[in-house]
Amino acid sequence: MISPIIEVENLVKVYPGGTRAVDGISFNVEPGELLGFLGPNGAGKTTTIRILATLLAATSGTARVAGFDVTTQAADVRRRLGLAMQTPTLDAFATGRENIELIGRMHRVGRAELKRRTDELLELMGLTDVARKLAGTYSGGMRRRLDLACALVHRPRVLILDEPTEGLDPQSRIALWEELERISRDGTTMLLTTHYMEEADRLCNRVAIIDNGRIVVDGTPANLKAGIGADSVTLQLEASGSEDMARLHEEVRGLLAGFESLESVTPEPFGVRLAIRDAGRAIPELMRRLDRNGHDVHVIGLAVGRPSLDDVFVKYTGRRIRTEAADQPLILGW
Amino acid sequence: MIGDFFYEAWYLSLRTLRRFFRVPANWIGIIFFPLIQLFVFSQLFKDIIQLPGFRSSGSGSYLAYLAPGQIAFTAFFAVAWSGSAILVEYRNGYMDKLRATPIFRVSILVGELAPLFIESAIMAGGILLLSVLLGATIKTGLIGAALILVLSGLFGMAWAGTSFVPALLTKSEQATGTLSLVFFPIAFMSTAFVPPALMPGWLQTVNSWNPITFLIEAIRPLMVSGYDWAAIGKALIAIAVLGLVLQSATLWAFRRLTA
Ligand SMILES: Nc1ncnc2c1ncn2[C@@H]1O[C@H](COP(=O)(O)OP(=O)(O)OP(=O)(O)O)[C@@H](O)[C@H]1O
Ligand SMILES: [Mg+2]
Repeated sequence: MISPIIEVENLVKVYPGGTRAVDGISFNVEPGELLGFLGPNGAGKTTTIRILATLLAATSGTARVAGFDVTTQAADVRRRLGLAMQTPTLDAFATGRENIELIGRMHRVGRAELKRRTDELLELMGLTDVARKLAGTYSGGMRRRLDLACALVHRPRVLILDEPTEGLDPQSRIALWEELERISRDGTTMLLTTHYMEEADRLCNRVAIIDNGRIVVDGTPANLKAGIGADSVTLQLEASGSEDMARLHEEVRGLLAGFESLESVTPEPFGVRLAIRDAGRAIPELMRRLDRNGHDVHVIGLAVGRPSLDDVFVKYTGRRIRTEAADQPLILGW
Repeated sequence: MIGDFFYEAWYLSLRTLRRFFRVPANWIGIIFFPLIQLFVFSQLFKDIIQLPGFRSSGSGSYLAYLAPGQIAFTAFFAVAWSGSAILVEYRNGYMDKLRATPIFRVSILVGELAPLFIESAIMAGGILLLSVLLGATIKTGLIGAALILVLSGLFGMAWAGTSFVPALLTKSEQATGTLSLVFFPIAFMSTAFVPPALMPGWLQTVNSWNPITFLIEAIRPLMVSGYDWAAIGKALIAIAVLGLVLQSATLWAFRRLTA
């Protein structure tokens, strides 16, 4: 049996001040696997990653990367780890090439190999033309790609990426997905965090949904979606304003009370989203109920969708994901 | 083991130097103030050299008297805010990027401190050159000039602790900038402008402990008379003591910050 590349057991992190950012997380990542952490702001993703990357001491619990303990064998972990944090961190006064080379040197990549590898990565990330410009002049997307190149320069066995596609345009995002897929196929084990359902769905072999410092559920995207069972039915409702819409939400709830195919009702600004088992069969009955006399619920649009990772997220966390993010705490000195 | 440390410190130092010299504002800002003092004061107080206290210093003009002090000032200015760079990188996460590589943690600090030797020496060299252009002399020639640069560089490296310690402890650029002003009077109370003989008694006492005065008084003979090994020896001891105290504190503050 091959042992996991990342083994995390009962990890807890309580920040000074009492925030329980990570609250007993356990998971394994098998060699070659690509695990995605999906979670809302403040779920504890970055905190977990900083512990795995030997940058932060856990309050309790153990974590091993590539077989080495992150606290007692930090140097061994670092040698095998490629890391890209949520905000790209670069030396603004060094060129793209110099940025990659410095990190390569710190990882003791040999001179000839370093030159070859740097050329290769610049090419791969589409940065060859700007390799001699200062990184401080790069656009956000270019910084992101340069940061990733730095993480890859020493051919790490484990790659940990905190929101790798945050701030990329759709085109660059897809290009980066393809690149990450290729790296993953080459056998690199990967752990990444994301806010994007689509990203988790497309890229990850396995997804762990994390909320309030705990893993609430994990599995392959397909299994998680299958676990939802219900289809999602989106109803667009006619309303004269947000207050009116709020009233309609309540009305719909009332009208659908006792409807046995219905699993949940989620209010939306444009109407409601319903989770309904076997929607194809249930819709006629649904429409009959909404059409009951004496009510003014007017359905102006209807869409039926198969379960998405979005629905999985809503089911397990009770809310939708938000997309703003920040990982650097503001340090308040005097 | 020790080879690893030198390898890491070497490449991190190169990076620090690059960062310093690629921003012209860095070195222009450092040179500017001493240059203005050298130029304006040497005109303004031209005749002050007639006062008896100046004679014994051996300087033929007030410019010649002023130059050693301004060279020391330059080394002082070169490091007055040096601690903020490490702070910026602590805050923006670059230090974490380095810490996640398999290097000695202290290499990061040494990679910031060691280049200050070069930075201070080169900046001081700039003012030395400018003062020669303005009419000062260097009696001991090129070897003396090299000695002046080494002394300035060593002083800069030692003095940098006055910026690093507040930076690492307060984690605030503003605080670092403000606290560095606290040290300015030490420079102004030195023998940069007036020989000790013309100072009130309490200032003479201060200057028998002022490391900047030791530096200035080692540089002065090299420019106006000849090698004064006793003065150079005293300056080196003062710099060593200062460096030992301040840099031990820096190391402690750095370890505390990155714990
Ligand atoms: N240095 C810190 N000191 C105190 N509390 C912190 C610190 N860093 C994070 N926290 C808190 O820990 C919790 C988890 O934060 P973390 O950054 O791990 O979340 P995240 O899942 O990465 O969120 P995001 O999606 O916004 O990046 C939050 O409540 C946050 O306020
Ligand atoms: Mg985060």
